[in-house]
Amino acid sequence: MTVSGATQRTRPAMGGFWWRRLGRSRVVRTFGPFVPVVLAWWAVAELEFFPAAFFVGPDVVVAEFAELIKKGILPAYLSDSVTRLWTGVVFGLLIGIPAGFLVAMSRWARRLTWPLLMFFQAIADIAWLPIVIVWFGFSLTAVTFVIVYTIVFPLMISIVAGVEQVPRDMVRAARSLGAGRFRVFTDVILPGALPAVATGIRTGLGYGWRALIAAEIIVGTSGIGFMMFDARRAGEVTGVFVGMIVLGILWFALDALVLAPFERSTIERWGMIQTAEVAR
Amino acid sequence: MSTLEIKNLHKEYVDAYTGETVTAVGDVSFSVDRGEFVSILGPSGCGKTTVLNVVAGFDKLTSGSVEVGGKPVTAPSPERGVVFQSFALFPWKTVLGNVAFGLRMRGVPRREREPVARQYLELVGLEGFERKFPHELSGGMQQRLGVARVLANEPEVMLMDEPFASVDAQTRRKLQEDLTDIFQAKRPTVFFVTHDVDEAVFLSDRVVVLSSRPSTVAEIVTVPLERPRNWRSVLENPDFRHTVTHLTDLLAGGRAHGEEQAERLSGRVDSSSEPPVRADAGGES
Amino acid sequence: MALTSPAGRRGGKLSRRLSAALWFLLPFVLLAAVWVVIVEVTEVEMRIFPQITDVAGAFGELWSSGELFTHVGASLRRVVLGVIAAILTGIPFGILLGSSRWVAAFFAPLLRFSVALAGIAWIPLATLWLGYGERAVIFIVWNAMFFALAYNTMLGVQRIPTQLLRAARSMGTPRARMFTEVLLPGALPNIVTGLRVGLGYGWRGLVAAEIIAASAGVGYSIFLAQKFFRTDVIIAFMIVIGVLWLITDRAVLAPLERRTVERWGMKAVTA
Repeated sequence: MTVSGATQRTRPAMGGFWWRRLGRSRVVRTFGPFVPVVLAWWAVAELEFFPAAFFVGPDVVVAEFAELIKKGILPAYLSDSVTRLWTGVVFGLLIGIPAGFLVAMSRWARRLTWPLLMFFQAIADIAWLPIVIVWFGFSLTAVTFVIVYTIVFPLMISIVAGVEQVPRDMVRAARSLGAGRFRVFTDVILPGALPAVATGIRTGLGYGWRALIAAEIIVGTSGIGFMMFDARRAGEVTGVFVGMIVLGILWFALDALVLAPFERSTIERWGMIQTAEVAR
Repeated sequence: MSTLEIKNLHKEYVDAYTGETVTAVGDVSFSVDRGEFVSILGPSGCGKTTVLNVVAGFDKLTSGSVEVGGKPVTAPSPERGVVFQSFALFPWKTVLGNVAFGLRMRGVPRREREPVARQYLELVGLEGFERKFPHELSGGMQQRLGVARVLANEPEVMLMDEPFASVDAQTRRKLQEDLTDIFQAKRPTVFFVTHDVDEAVFLSDRVVVLSSRPSTVAEIVTVPLERPRNWRSVLENPDFRHTVTHLTDLLAGGRAHGEEQAERLSGRVDSSSEPPVRADAGGES
Repeated sequence: MALTSPAGRRGGKLSRRLSAALWFLLPFVLLAAVWVVIVEVTEVEMRIFPQITDVAGAFGELWSSGELFTHVGASLRRVVLGVIAAILTGIPFGILLGSSRWVAAFFAPLLRFSVALAGIAWIPLATLWLGYGERAVIFIVWNAMFFALAYNTMLGVQRIPTQLLRAARSMGTPRARMFTEVLLPGALPNIVTGLRVGLGYGWRGLVAAEIIAASAGVGYSIFLAQKFFRTDVIIAFMIVIGVLWLITDRAVLAPLERRTVERWGMKAVTA
């Protein structure tokens, strides 16, 4: 068949408008929606729908934010929180990923640990906080323990599911092409399970992150969670707002700088179905 | 009296990515009479599905007119039921629930709609499967259900968008024969989109051939075959082969290529007493 | 083949079930054994780590005094109220957002932001707005679930194949009925995912909120026990928390999934 002029293009229509191009830009699509929301927030605060003791506008929050930075409180607390999260995540991954693949690959390990995995996953991480404090006091060790706990179980369960989802034919293809057991693992199963690893990390971080905030709120001596609850005890709503916004920005940065690039460079690059789109 | 009347249908859309205007359908006019089976055939990407989508009311036309039963088409309506290539059955409804869906939407009470639904299930040979869910049926059975679901609404015209393209070759033949039987029995008005030449000729009273983009009607071919039809007798019928050859030429566009193929085909017909079983000439693209 | 009696086959099934149950229990038995041995050998103090018998004793005490039921009941009541509120608000909101491509594109980043913050981070604000007590705790459960549920519902609606929507419209479905006939069942695989994720957050939010803002409930009890170094009570309640979650998952979520998404042959986006 001769297909002549398959797509006949006439005039470069409305597409030339700058706002259309702008609407397609990633940054605008991500941050654009926040503009009207902040404006609405401002309007609600200005119109004083709620008493000022309960609800403050973005102007007040920004002023307080600048104040806290100037005093050095915010940077210090932020670095405390980030250090705790980071330590927990690193140890969580170091333990969770090998353990996950071990359980996934070995029938015996699977049989002996699967029910326990399910059960420990079911004990909400925050419930460990009291006993961990008994053991370690409120220290970096205690927080790290809880975060590692929150990350390891979802990660392991996710990896087992991911290894199971590697198509059998792909393993067979590799074997028939001459790959040994080890090569099948490194060249087929490991990359094949990567999307699951990404999903697991996302789930784990979603929980670990909450556990950190909870720990800081409940028994904290420093950190963003502590700052928020300290402000709440003093009845200063502004400090609470600042804390929540800082937490939100922190998660956004984590998502944009760590999680999303990892997912992009593996799952999306290979055109594998992205399950990580589910909100965690 | 024509049930479906398309006059100078022209459709442009703006490509969301490049922002350029693309002409999907250049200038298409034809009509479908009551109780007639008309196929639209064309090279891939010629906009035949766009024509169907406009008739169905899913897409708006840029200029021209589309009328069904004398009324211009503005939105989807049960008067123009669609059978989809992807079946588009509701996975959360049973077979019976799917067939009765249109009647339920019209507010027909359960007592009345169930016998009607069962009657149409019987028509397509799905009696006994009422309580199954669509995913429990084979591809062929799913599309039978798709047909029953539309016919149960007794539409002015049934629109079929390459309905058999995603079932295997043998099932497709069977479904095509069954469709002619159903057509024979119920005489619905059918507008059928396909890229399979054999299928178009086997099923239709007339075939509208579109040129490639920007598409216009190259020719409207009347199929000189008696009904009822079945593949065995149709394949032996020289009229069938002539029509298929003619349509293949039209689609190929190039004259030389077409003549050569015609010669080869007619030569084969003359030399062998038993005609070769042709695979789908149109093929899948 | 003809010789296999039905009884024999049933016996085979039974023994297979029995062995599955044994394999399920074995890891717990081993864990308990390790626990007993370690505590015996290291002679660790009870205020650091209790013997398994101490935990059983604490559990028995909680059971017979009725304390267990008071606290579990208080927690379950909050979860149920919060979850119902989240389902009634989150699912319709998600469907509403998902039914328009532009609205969905606009709200997606906002919702992602909110999901990340949902639950525990709201505790200071919730207690400030609603005071310490029941209302704040239920608010946290609702809040923890709402965003995850709304976001996943929105994704689910967006993933309904266009052909399905067109089929429904071409069969004369009125706009209002599209909601219940197509959008809700079509989005159900993702709604179930949202429920699961949301319940995970909600449950954690509950425990944290009870520690801070309640005078009953499992979270409150566990934290109270910590103040008195009653590790046996802590661990007894931890096990209760785990079992409650497993029951929620197995007795509510799994059957829901089996009866809808799996029965209909719709693949859920599993995590």
